[in-house]
Amino acid sequence: MSFVIKTENLGREYKTYQKKEGVINSIKGFWNREYTSKAALKNVSLEIESGQIVGLVGANGAGKTTLLKILSGLIYPTTGTVRVLGFEPWKRETDYLRQMSVLLGQKNQLWWDISARDSYALLAKIYDLDLIQAKKRVTDLAEMLNCHHVLDTQLRRLSLGERMKMEIIGSLLHSPKVLFLDEPTIGLDILAQTTIRDFLEVYVNEFKPAIILTSHYMDDIAQLADRLLLISKGEMVYDGTVDRFSQTTETSKKLIYRYKNDHAERELVFQNSELSEKLNEVVKSGEVVELKIEEVDFEEVIHRFLAKESRI
Amino acid sequence: MKKSFIAFWRRNLAFSELAIVSNLEYRFNFVIDAFVQPLITVGIELLLWIAIFKTTEATLIGGFGKEAYLAYGVWAPFLGRIAVSWMYESMMVEEVSSGSINVILARPISFYEYYLSQMMGYKFITTVLSLLAPLSVSYFFHLPIHYDRIPLALLLVFYYLFLIHTLSFVISTFAFFLTRVRSLTLVKNLTLWLLAGELVPIDLMPETLSKILLLSPFPSGVYIPVAYMTGRVDINMISQGFLSVSISILVSCLIGHWLWKKGLEEYTGTGA
Repeated sequence: MSFVIKTENLGREYKTYQKKEGVINSIKGFWNREYTSKAALKNVSLEIESGQIVGLVGANGAGKTTLLKILSGLIYPTTGTVRVLGFEPWKRETDYLRQMSVLLGQKNQLWWDISARDSYALLAKIYDLDLIQAKKRVTDLAEMLNCHHVLDTQLRRLSLGERMKMEIIGSLLHSPKVLFLDEPTIGLDILAQTTIRDFLEVYVNEFKPAIILTSHYMDDIAQLADRLLLISKGEMVYDGTVDRFSQTTETSKKLIYRYKNDHAERELVFQNSELSEKLNEVVKSGEVVELKIEEVDFEEVIHRFLAKESRI
Repeated sequence: MKKSFIAFWRRNLAFSELAIVSNLEYRFNFVIDAFVQPLITVGIELLLWIAIFKTTEATLIGGFGKEAYLAYGVWAPFLGRIAVSWMYESMMVEEVSSGSINVILARPISFYEYYLSQMMGYKFITTVLSLLAPLSVSYFFHLPIHYDRIPLALLLVFYYLFLIHTLSFVISTFAFFLTRVRSLTLVKNLTLWLLAGELVPIDLMPETLSKILLLSPFPSGVYIPVAYMTGRVDINMISQGFLSVSISILVSCLIGHWLWKKGLEEYTGTGA
């Protein structure tokens, strides 16, 4: 099987200046600075096939963005090997850059002062695309994202949701074979999130790029990802399907109940095998007037899992 | 080969166009930068030379009369305005220190090329739009200008811009290691301002210093083209200017390339 992304024992260390408190220490730091090394990524080995959407999830500072930066060639790895589409990303060869795209959800990648359509014309020249084909692709993608009406508006005059749609079109204009999406729905309202999620689902089915997606919205991961990578303190702590993750994690059900004369609903999360035991506990403690059992949502499962990993 | 050549020009003309469109978008800033700032500098230079001739009661200084210095005072700030790159250098440094350079690194373009084309586009439009001012002042006040020499003088200034951009590129690579390099930009640009001869013609400086400076590439930004237009020097000095700028571009490109490679190894992609 050929993989579009393959890493072995990938690692990255950052050197950080230890800034001590106060003016005196700032003066001392002028000639004597202490640096510490921190491993942001440790021994990450991955194999990703074409047409796969991989959800990369972890707490802030877990190493998600560092991994994306290495894979997209923005930074060098400290240890290990990495190949994306057969290239070593950090060499930033033109043939590689033409086939991949990075979308950093918190950064503008199109030009602020010109319209999105002008930005796409510029991108078409940067990627050396056929200008007529590029225009047609913009029209098609804009129709899919339902944003045709804002193509001629300056980027800085668009709402966040519209801007993100424009950024997505820009990142897909050259039909990348590998796409790195870092928080593509961050800060967007529910409607815009859903539109972008649905669009990505349709796009991947049609064009089959490999995608690595990071998001703090677990709905993005649950709806889009074929495969889930959980990262904690720079290490992969889970690699498998989203369904398998939900099934194998310990906390999979939630008991929601309310006692008589108590207006607040209470919740108790438990493993499937503990149902009788937990029900008994709840009933013994008071007169239950409402009771329901729900699946624990995906976001909560992940948070519990990561919290547990972080304690190790 | 032919295809990549066409792609290169298509891409770079698009960057130049981007600079023109983006800068014309902010009309107030553009007018200040392209017209008001050079007019103020011209005013200062003219007042300075008028005051010098009045107080010394001399008819000639360094072998040239008042009109020659007024011509210098009109054209030196105009060319000096073209031959600096404060704005683009600041943008380049900011891109590296803030991490927004990621957008460029992730695309098949070079950081050097991207900003060079933008700067050239901007310089071209500001030169075309503001050239009328020194031309009309020279014409109406009968200043001693060789009008036929203006194209070659401007060509040297634009060639000098390649060196200025390469130096800006070198300064921006320092931001990989030091993050904040504003003071370096300031010191470098002030030094170039003096060495280019914008404030005082180089031939008025002590002879040894003047000889050394004329061997350096910096007078090619202001002194040599203005001196050529005003008849202080001949075509040989222009040739010498092209030569010293070429050598300096080569050397600074090598230094810039090395620093860029080392910088990328240090780079952490902050802000992504």
